[in-house]
Amino acid sequence: MRRFLEADPPTEADGYSFATEYDGPPLTYDIPRACPIDVDRIPLAALAPPSASRPDPPLVLPFPSPKRPPQVPFASPTSVIENHADVSGALGSSGFLDPSTEPSEVADGSGAVWFSGDLKGVAASSSDIIPNRLSLESALSLGFSCRSPASCYEDGEDDIAMQAEEASVGTFQESGQSSYSMSPSIGVTPQTRSEELETKIKKGACYMCLKGSRFTEKETCLVCDARYCSSCVLTAMGSMPEGRKCVSCIGSPILESNRERLGKSSRLLKRLLSSLEVEQVVKAEKNSEANQLRPEHICVNGKKLSLEEMVLLQSCPCPPPTLKPGLYWYDKVSGYWGKEGHRPDRIITPNLNIGGALMQNASNGNTGILINGREITKVELQMLKWAGVSCAGNPHFWLNADGTYLEEGQKNIKGKIWGKPIMKLLCPVLSLPFPDKVANPSGEEVNDLVRRVVSEYLDKKTLQKLLLVGNHGSGTSTIFKQAKFLYRSVPFSEDERQDIKLMIQTSIYNYIGILLEGRELFEEESLAERKGNQQLHSSGDAELDKEKIVTEYSINPRLKAFSDWLLKVMASGNLEDIFPAATREYAPLVEELWNDSAIQATYKRRSELQPIPSIASCFLERVVDISRVEYEPSDMDILYADGITTSNGLACVDFHFPQLPCAGMSINDHDHQETSSRYQLIRVQNKGLGENCRWLHLFEDVRIVIFCVSLTDYDEYQEDLNGVVLNKMMENKRLFEIIARAFEQINFLLILSKFDLLEQKIDTAPLTLCKWFDGFDPVVSHHPRNNSRNNQGTNIESTRAEQAFQYVAVKFKRLFLSITGRKLFVTRANGLDSDSVNAAIRYASEIIKWDGEWSMCDSVESMYNTEPSFFSH
Amino acid sequence: MTRVHGTSRAAAPAPFTPSAPLNTVLARPSRTVAAALPRLPFRRPLLLSVTSLSPNARSVAPPPSFLQSHSPQCGDEELGEEFLIFGYWAWLMSFSELKDRHVAATATVNTLRDRLNQKRQQLLDTDVAGYAKSQGRTAVNFCSTDLVCCRTLQGHTGKVYSLDWTSEKNRIVSASQDGRLIIWNALTSQKTHAIKLPCAWVMTCAFAPNGHSVACGGLDSECSIFNLNSQVDRYGNIPVSRVLTGHKGYVSSCEFVRDQDTRLITGSGDQTCVLWDVTTGQRISVFGGEFPSGHTSDVLSISINSSNSNIFVSGSCDATARLWDTRIASRAIRTYQGHYGDVNTVKFFPDGQRFGTGSDDGTCRLFDMRTGHQLQVYSQQQANNDQDIPIVTSIAFSISGRLLFAGYSNGDCYVWDTLLAEVVVNLGKLQNSHEGRISCLGLSADGSALCTGSWDKNLKIWAFGGHRKVI
Repeated sequence: MRRFLEADPPTEADGYSFATEYDGPPLTYDIPRACPIDVDRIPLAALAPPSASRPDPPLVLPFPSPKRPPQVPFASPTSVIENHADVSGALGSSGFLDPSTEPSEVADGSGAVWFSGDLKGVAASSSDIIPNRLSLESALSLGFSCRSPASCYEDGEDDIAMQAEEASVGTFQESGQSSYSMSPSIGVTPQTRSEELETKIKKGACYMCLKGSRFTEKETCLVCDARYCSSCVLTAMGSMPEGRKCVSCIGSPILESNRERLGKSSRLLKRLLSSLEVEQVVKAEKNSEANQLRPEHICVNGKKLSLEEMVLLQSCPCPPPTLKPGLYWYDKVSGYWGKEGHRPDRIITPNLNIGGALMQNASNGNTGILINGREITKVELQMLKWAGVSCAGNPHFWLNADGTYLEEGQKNIKGKIWGKPIMKLLCPVLSLPFPDKVANPSGEEVNDLVRRVVSEYLDKKTLQKLLLVGNHGSGTSTIFKQAKFLYRSVPFSEDERQDIKLMIQTSIYNYIGILLEGRELFEEESLAERKGNQQLHSSGDAELDKEKIVTEYSINPRLKAFSDWLLKVMASGNLEDIFPAATREYAPLVEELWNDSAIQATYKRRSELQPIPSIASCFLERVVDISRVEYEPSDMDILYADGITTSNGLACVDFHFPQLPCAGMSINDHDHQETSSRYQLIRVQNKGLGENCRWLHLFEDVRIVIFCVSLTDYDEYQEDLNGVVLNKMMENKRLFEIIARAFEQINFLLILSKFDLLEQKIDTAPLTLCKWFDGFDPVVSHHPRNNSRNNQGTNIESTRAEQAFQYVAVKFKRLFLSITGRKLFVTRANGLDSDSVNAAIRYASEIIKWDGEWSMCDSVESMYNTEPSFFSH
Repeated sequence: MTRVHGTSRAAAPAPFTPSAPLNTVLARPSRTVAAALPRLPFRRPLLLSVTSLSPNARSVAPPPSFLQSHSPQCGDEELGEEFLIFGYWAWLMSFSELKDRHVAATATVNTLRDRLNQKRQQLLDTDVAGYAKSQGRTAVNFCSTDLVCCRTLQGHTGKVYSLDWTSEKNRIVSASQDGRLIIWNALTSQKTHAIKLPCAWVMTCAFAPNGHSVACGGLDSECSIFNLNSQVDRYGNIPVSRVLTGHKGYVSSCEFVRDQDTRLITGSGDQTCVLWDVTTGQRISVFGGEFPSGHTSDVLSISINSSNSNIFVSGSCDATARLWDTRIASRAIRTYQGHYGDVNTVKFFPDGQRFGTGSDDGTCRLFDMRTGHQLQVYSQQQANNDQDIPIVTSIAFSISGRLLFAGYSNGDCYVWDTLLAEVVVNLGKLQNSHEGRISCLGLSADGSALCTGSWDKNLKIWAFGGHRKVI
């Protein structure tokens, strides 16, 4: 093509202009002429891959148009050079179809014919000059990837065909004639259409640049129907976060007449954007909340739908077609669906839990016969009669989804309405619905859909990411699970519950293993003790007695055998292979073990063993119950379970805050904003993800880091790899420093958990056990105000815990300030208390929301929210 | 013992406790004890008293945690025997005594290790560059147009983290923080597949040798396998064909075993490497973890030997690289020290007798696999006073091994002459180079092209452009 262009330069380019009229006699032959090539308008965005094999694009001789208005000084379409100027912009020449032109110029109907010829020319020319563009597109888009460059010609033609179609659809959509197709290469029937063309011509221009004609490929705003040409559409619509809408229309609901277009990508979009982007736009368009049918506009059985009901209705296997705002009735049992006051319109999927209860007068019948409590119309009565249902005495029927019917209150099925083949023919006669397929899924299955669809549907909204991080035992997993319970309608899927069940079942054996190990230890200890005592008292028959000595830690031989076996299995690391599967067989043994006095005695001394969570007893007591196959962990069990998934990797949950019911108007507005933003809580555990925090850079897009620290860590210790015993609070500090350094620009919220446990032990174990807190001075006498305030209504212990909490908070705040120079937010939460978790997470969302405002004012005095006199300076 | 001991670390040794009546007759421990050590649970090293074990003396072993911390590093053979005996003896002593000895022994091991390294240094009289210079070799010389960026693969909307080439065709799989894997045709730069991942935090991806499936892993601690030929579901996503679960930490690296489509090796943040059977989803063997001589920190990278697929090497946050034989899972064959920072990347030299490493300390090193000697350090002589030495994120060797491509966190991508340890060219300074950190790079199977992936969301393909005119 390039060669062709060079060999045949546009000779008359200088003198040529659209304005010059050809005033000679009508020509009988075609004169090759060249239009000036506007280089800028030829879309040449990128270079073709040099090595891609590109066969010479086929040259197609365009049709000579059958009839051409002689007064139009337009060049013949025989030359492929001519129409360059039109490729990206107007299809017709701008002079010809400019909105300012008088409509009479095209009124004779030949305009359309001309148009077809013109298009053909463009088709040919574009097929020739387009390879560059095509290869660009194919390089960028998945959609093109399967096409070989050899199909360039078809592409070009398709392109034009689509353009024409788009244009026509865009123009005539309101007039309801979108069914015809306007193929450029086929003879057109212009007479019927020319009037419409004429009347719409003024509207053809682009709303932004006011150029172009109705044939220009344009994109229409779904909200205000504004049309933009290809060069303006990106300016006008921006990044299209909700699909094809003007920037000013974002957030507004779309026109109902545009609903069919929703999610159908156009050629123009495909040309302007890469296919991944198109995919995203289309998906956003389909899924964004503003574009959905407002659930409150749809009323089923006298009750407005909620969002979830709405999604359920639309995603069921047989949804009502073309759902429009209005009042409907829905017979849950049979699946009948209709407009309120009208006969049934359709049979949709039954058993959907939507709307209110079906009312007797839903379809405004007057026959006195009830089906599932709805008085049927005369037409339906006729149908029943044809179906062979005896309707004498105004009976009341129950009708099932499969067509079986029975009399109200009776048990025996009287027959099947849809059983007769003739019904399939008769129903349309009465314009009554007939079920598509008799087989319908059960209710649970249907209602299960909602979860998946909702999550998919809300997928693309901009997410505010919250990173929840903390050391092992800091309560991150409990807070995460609590958040799931708080904000998700279905907190845990079946799989997740299964996973947690296995976790609980395995952990039981872990606990019991620790106890058994401890038991042996204690048994030996006490044996040794006794031996020592015996040696003191009698030295004679010690050897004989040794085997018979029974300590309080001894267990009977059967249990002993089991215990030995279990320990061996654990030692060999096969516990995971055996246990979730074999829990059931050993459950009675475990229970027996647990109830054995030796184990109980060991359990009392559990503080000397490896940590067993206090919750272990809870699970161990119910071991038989838990080990059953059909055991379903309760919500509490899930909260108590150790961890979230067996792999203990990353877990994330998307949520939004549920709208607060019945609040004042102003608050409602505020809340609306809040609900519109979506959050993703990502929980990573330091333990699961390695000690070195190599994963930190993966979370650069989080909005807030929620760091969890257990307040009880200050007197607890753990050993690191080298066997060095470390204070867990110091470990928290170390991790906090690492993470604060990594996320220097991100807000932090510190959650101090397990305050209740701190209250219990603050008296026996002073906070100063941790060397970081050695400045803690619980003597409160010289802070009388503080003291008197805290003493009100509470005892001195809680005050001390309170002070300890404040002190720890301030320590972390100072640390954070020294690292990042910014303020650390601190709150307190108990993972088992849903209200406190809710408060903490809402606090986090507030921080995100006010982020901007805070960055403005960095007031120093707000740095500390506790009395500065608190510290010993 | 009033303190509550937490074991929040997977490999933290349990506190030593007095145990074991003295009447048990112990067999003299041998080296096989270490090898015959039972597999231990990940979560919690169990401290077993002798009575709970079978009378079979061979399985009577000292506490594994003890072995772990005291076990000799590979290479110092004579140390091992003694330490095991010492460990055994010490094991029978009381707690406090034992603990003291533990500390002392750890110190001894460390000093011995240092001495070993010193000795190694003494024995190392030359490096590759010195020898090559003495032989009169001259460095490879590239002019600026010899290596050019001939394709830019655009399409990811997040940072690119990993890439891999197919073994036969010119296809690339790339993994990005936008939660997608994209399969590219490197010649045409077309995308052939885009796979949406269930977990967006992906860190690694790999092509199967047959080119029909890809594997990826990340923060979900799972390795997911996708079959490219499987039917897409109704959302247009390729379903996961197999999930390999079992890691307790993020999956940092994965690679298919070259001649076996069903075998896959992963490296993970839980300090282990695992050999998987992809068809069954089962772990075949676990390398490291509770075993002695395993990595003591996150495994960041693995590379399988090209000439013997039973051998692979792993690099870790503990600043070492370790060599493993898939047939002997119990212990690392050899440990390679020398780096001062996390070993981010390891790659076998094409001949399979050496391997290269890249580290947080900003250097690349070449190690001899068999002797364990460090052959060469590749580092820029920079002003080291500033803290911001760019770290090496990824390396690759040319087919001949003469060139070493190394990506750095500052966006540089040096091409090193492996013989003379000189930088041939810096791709980061060329035209059309990346704007962000180079996170991954790989050479095509025929060696004709290099692909680099970057945090600027793009991948670029570099090829020799000396005699070709590039449009």
